[in-house]
Amino acid sequence: MAFDAIFEPIEIGKLTIRNRVVSTAHAEVHATDGGMTTERYVRYYEEKSKGGCGLCICGGSSVVSIDSPQGWWSSVNLSTDRIIPHFQNLADAVHKHGGKIMIQITHMGRRSRWDGFDWSTLVSPSGIREPVHRSTCKTIEEEEIWRIIGDFAQAARRAKEGGLDGVELSAVHQHLIDQFWSPRVNKREDQWGGSFENRMRFGIEVLKAVRAEVGDDFVVGMRICGDEFHPDGLSHDDMKQIAAYYDATKMVDFFGVIGSGCDTHNTLANVIPNMSYPPEPFLHLAAGIKEVVNVPVIHAQNIKDPNQAQRILEGGYVDLVGMTRAHIADPHLIAKIKMGQIDQIKQCVGANYCIDRQYQGLDVLCIQNAATAREYMGLPHIIEKTEGVKRKVVVVGGGPGGMEAARVAAERGHDVTLFEAADALGGQITIAAQAPQRDQIAGITRWYQLELARLKVDLRLGARADEATLLDLRPDIVVLATGGQPFLSQHPEWGYSENAEESLVVSTWDILSGKVAPGKNVLIYDAICEFSGVSAADFLADKGAKVEIVTDDIKPGAAVGGTTFPTYYRSLYEKEVIMSSDLMLHKVYREGDSLVAVLENEYTGALEERVVDQVVVENGVRPDEALYYALKEQSRNKGQVDLEALYAIQPQPSLSEEGDDFLLFRLGDCTAPRNTHAAIYDALRICKDF
Amino acid sequence: MDGKCSAQGWVYSALAEVCRRSSPAAKDEVSTMLETLLPILIFTALALAVIGAVRRIRLWRQGRPSRVNLLQGLMALPRRYLVDLHHVVGRDKMISNTHVATAGGFVAAAVLMILVHGLGIANPLLGGLLLLASTSMFVGSLFVARRRLNPPARLSKGPWMRLPKSLMAFSIGVFLITLPTVGLLPDGLVEGSGSWLLALVLAGVVVWGLGEMFFGMTWGGPMKHAFAGALHLAFHRRAERFGGGRSTGLKALNLEDEAAPLGVEKPTDFTWNQLLGFDACVQCGRCEAVCPAFAAGQPLNPKKLIQDMVVGFAGGSDAGYAGSPYPGKPVGEHQGAPHAPILAPVVMKEGKALVDAETLWSCTTCRACVEECPMMIEHVDAIVDMRRHLTLERGKTPNKGAEVLDNLIATDNPGGFDPGSRLNWAADLNLPLMADLKQVDVLLWLGDGAFDMRNQRTLRALVKVLRAAEVDFAVLGAEERDSGDVARRLGDEATFQSLAKRNIATLAKYRFQQIVTCDPHSFHVLGNEYGDFLQEGQGGSDFNASYEVRHHSTFIAELYDAGRLTFAPWKGGSVTYHDPCYLGRYNGEYEAPRRVLKALGIQVAEMERSGLRSRCCGGGGGAPITDIPGERRIPDMRMNDVKESGAELVAVGCPQCTAMLEGVVDASAEVRDIAELVADALVERPAGDVSGVSRRTTAVTTAEEVTL
Repeated sequence: MAFDAIFEPIEIGKLTIRNRVVSTAHAEVHATDGGMTTERYVRYYEEKSKGGCGLCICGGSSVVSIDSPQGWWSSVNLSTDRIIPHFQNLADAVHKHGGKIMIQITHMGRRSRWDGFDWSTLVSPSGIREPVHRSTCKTIEEEEIWRIIGDFAQAARRAKEGGLDGVELSAVHQHLIDQFWSPRVNKREDQWGGSFENRMRFGIEVLKAVRAEVGDDFVVGMRICGDEFHPDGLSHDDMKQIAAYYDATKMVDFFGVIGSGCDTHNTLANVIPNMSYPPEPFLHLAAGIKEVVNVPVIHAQNIKDPNQAQRILEGGYVDLVGMTRAHIADPHLIAKIKMGQIDQIKQCVGANYCIDRQYQGLDVLCIQNAATAREYMGLPHIIEKTEGVKRKVVVVGGGPGGMEAARVAAERGHDVTLFEAADALGGQITIAAQAPQRDQIAGITRWYQLELARLKVDLRLGARADEATLLDLRPDIVVLATGGQPFLSQHPEWGYSENAEESLVVSTWDILSGKVAPGKNVLIYDAICEFSGVSAADFLADKGAKVEIVTDDIKPGAAVGGTTFPTYYRSLYEKEVIMSSDLMLHKVYREGDSLVAVLENEYTGALEERVVDQVVVENGVRPDEALYYALKEQSRNKGQVDLEALYAIQPQPSLSEEGDDFLLFRLGDCTAPRNTHAAIYDALRICKDF
Repeated sequence: MDGKCSAQGWVYSALAEVCRRSSPAAKDEVSTMLETLLPILIFTALALAVIGAVRRIRLWRQGRPSRVNLLQGLMALPRRYLVDLHHVVGRDKMISNTHVATAGGFVAAAVLMILVHGLGIANPLLGGLLLLASTSMFVGSLFVARRRLNPPARLSKGPWMRLPKSLMAFSIGVFLITLPTVGLLPDGLVEGSGSWLLALVLAGVVVWGLGEMFFGMTWGGPMKHAFAGALHLAFHRRAERFGGGRSTGLKALNLEDEAAPLGVEKPTDFTWNQLLGFDACVQCGRCEAVCPAFAAGQPLNPKKLIQDMVVGFAGGSDAGYAGSPYPGKPVGEHQGAPHAPILAPVVMKEGKALVDAETLWSCTTCRACVEECPMMIEHVDAIVDMRRHLTLERGKTPNKGAEVLDNLIATDNPGGFDPGSRLNWAADLNLPLMADLKQVDVLLWLGDGAFDMRNQRTLRALVKVLRAAEVDFAVLGAEERDSGDVARRLGDEATFQSLAKRNIATLAKYRFQQIVTCDPHSFHVLGNEYGDFLQEGQGGSDFNASYEVRHHSTFIAELYDAGRLTFAPWKGGSVTYHDPCYLGRYNGEYEAPRRVLKALGIQVAEMERSGLRSRCCGGGGGAPITDIPGERRIPDMRMNDVKESGAELVAVGCPQCTAMLEGVVDASAEVRDIAELVADALVERPAGDVSGVSRRTTAVTTAEEVTL
């Protein structure tokens, strides 16, 4: 049987997990009201269990003590008995569908922020500052150590009383337990530092206290790192020693292993490997831990595909695979394997939209699946066929918004035609996928291609729809998702012209799409600081150009998330791309065969010049509104979206109004330039009621 | 049309001639001659027939012994013929009536003729009856002739084409020679110079008729079917089939008896009454018309196979066979002899073995041929007997067959899965185990679909239904082994018996009222084939007396009837139902699945071939494992049947059928097991006084539904 290794149940402690796939702990940023799990939280995990996931470990970095701040990431608060009934709702919802649920509990020590909420004084073994959060802390005292050990035990009790199946102690990501472990951070000379046994002591005491509180029938696991990747940090051999030491206590029911420490920006990127990483890059570290322990080992890092999971499990490298982002992209992943619908799995592309939002304290969402974490609002992962009238739906534009609109309308059972001016679907995704290390973003398009073919959507590729063509189809609904064009005309001084011969600047799209050949000596001016600027820089450097990327923002790629800008930077620094900030592009002019870019320092007003042979400007997208205004007056709803209905996830009232004319909706960048998720979300919430 | 006209024209002109040319002078001489000649002819024919019969019987007796109560069989013959056999023949009213007229007329005419013309009892009453009988036979033979005008492909030609003429010759001859007996022909009718010639012609007609009907009956002519067919009915190896019974379980091989062959290598390894059965074939080709393998262009034609068996025990080649060949295999190149291996690579110096192995491995054991056969021949038994030899003696199970059998031997399941993983699919369902409970109402038999991801959905649905109806059930879990169905049908009787005995021993440990399974193959094997292997203390003297085996559709229908299940109204589209062979033809359960569908609010759009005549999905008998290529795939044809019914969904009740039908590329219909449809429609039973409004349980999805 294919995937038999995935579907082999396993015992963790005395708990049977129905398959080998785990949604591992991550901060959802959904727990509100002082850290209580919400309806949103429950429905998010219920969906995974319904979709067949074996084990969900929820609540990344859920705190056990009141001095480990909960509010920054809206994490779950286990420092109070108030959480118990909330856990009961959560446990019931997951158990109902056969899944199991545990929670990660931790004290984050220095790895947090102090400048808000209760203005906590953060604690750490030796009071050493943490750079990622710029957080200072005090040296923890003996009394505080014992208090926190007791807090761990009480938190575990609350999880058990709430009906959860277990707890995972976080000793990873430089939380308090592994702050004690690591000699980089633990410089103590008392019984809590120095020797191996002393550095281990805090974790062992936590484990003892937890076990004493919950007994042997409740699962207690640990999440650890496989190698901190710091010269003065814990090496893989150190971690094997630690794992074996803890395993020998027989108090640990499982180990979750993550490759890489994460207390610098660069190591943090390893922890949630984005699309630039190979599949399962740190599996060997988890396998190394498995060699020295006698209990099941879970490993999650870039495992996204059922075949990959089967291969890893079949090879015996680890006992369970974490497919966490895979479940964020498609919580019905397991069910689809079982249904023989592997082609219908929406596979995570590693865009890391989810985790990069989390690091900003924003709720975790999926770039390509707008229903994820919105189950509580009634947004469906599986679109049901309409029981109402079948409509003729015409979608214009084959970017993410248009593709989602076509998919959802077709799932509803309507007759759908999609026009795309280019020869292939994808829109801006196709351009984005041209950059080095960014090709996997095209996975978003690939899924839509398969789905639109399965749903028999009438695809008109290479066909630019005009007013007459559209009206000839006698549509009931027209959805415009025509996107836009690079906005190079904003400042006439830049010398942009629609005539390519005359234009002094080109766009990042021109470069990435291959429309314009790379120059040899290139200046990129990036006013947006999202992916496109750094992608174009990486692309040009990869083709052998000398590149300087200039921005008026705080740094190039400033708006690229925390797990992705490091991989850009690695590549850009390696290729000797010069990154300059605080400079505005004042003017471009031609001088002989060369171009001169005049840059103005934002803070001093001083001008400086660069002599180059190509100037690339990234200034965002200007919406393409022509077709919208051509159709607007003829449409029954005058192109208007009812916002109250939209935000309440209710059907657009215009859908149930009588009338002969078509309805017109517009979404994505042709309205205003936003992002992939925004386009897909609007498409889903407008089209789900067609 | 020509044949009809000429046949009729010939009869009338002969009569006219007789009438015109008769003269009183010649009458005495001619009458005397006939009175002298007829007994000689009749008794010569009878004597020859007896000699032929003895020779034929000796051919059958080459077969191995088979315990049959001869006297009881002969006593039962009239009823078996008139009731049981006509039940089969009567499915085609035209042929049934034709046969009643012709055969009834012939039997009566033959007996009366022996009395009147053989023994000279010239009683006008007997003569009158004889006229009536021969008239009936004549009328019947007209219809036989009509059927032969444009015979369908399934009918054999050759000697069978002359049979209607022979029937007419006999009936006309007997009619004419009997006219004087009743005085219908006045003196002086037979006169004139031509009367001798006429008498000779008449005698010739009588000789033709007698030759075909008496001599031919035992010497291998088409009428052989009457002789062998009657005795086959009397000495049938499955006497249980008569009187409305059903007998579909394969007969056990005695593995203890070292002298007994392991299956059939040569024709004489069949039992004598199997050989007799082969000889009963009328070559009507009803089997051929319903055989899924034949239709798919695989090298199997049940009719040809039976004829080849006749060639085998009588010796010779298949050159005289005048029916459709095995698809892709020319007729006339195969030879056999009673003691020559049927399937040897080279039997004769020239020509080929009697049957090619791939012919046997094409069979899906769907039993359509057996159920359709008016002579009640047991094709499937013969095929499995020969497969047993190939597998047990020669180890020649083709393609994946050997691997599957190795798996069964090593792991007790055909897929070679870890036996401990049989319950993996249910890790989240907390299924109660027999080992824990010891005693329950229902033992849920999972079957090997427990290892198949598709069937696991059916099983989960079934568990949900059982729980909704609050059935007290448990599973054997890892203690369950494959039922042995595939092993047995691939000819591996030893592995089958080993599995059967161990399963029986496991079942004997526990107490339960019934076994319920969603797998018709397990259902059949447990219900119909395990009985042969019970030992003392295992389920008592009668296996079925200790508990019943039920297909899940039957069980669900009963739960519904008992008010233990409530369904939401059906909202889907048009639905058809595919009868699994091992549920329908093997076990006669056609009603329960349809009752369940009706209860769901589904009006079944029946396929043309449904019920008893359902077409196989291609998944039985290990056929997907031995995988003999044809021109088409059987499941493709079946899905085409579905398409023609206009259904958007085909309901099934068998893991094999589900797998085969879902394997069809670009199918027009969805395939769902009945259990899945039921589980989807479940609503909580209205509690107490809350009337009318019931709520779909999908609002409170349970673990059983995890696969969506």
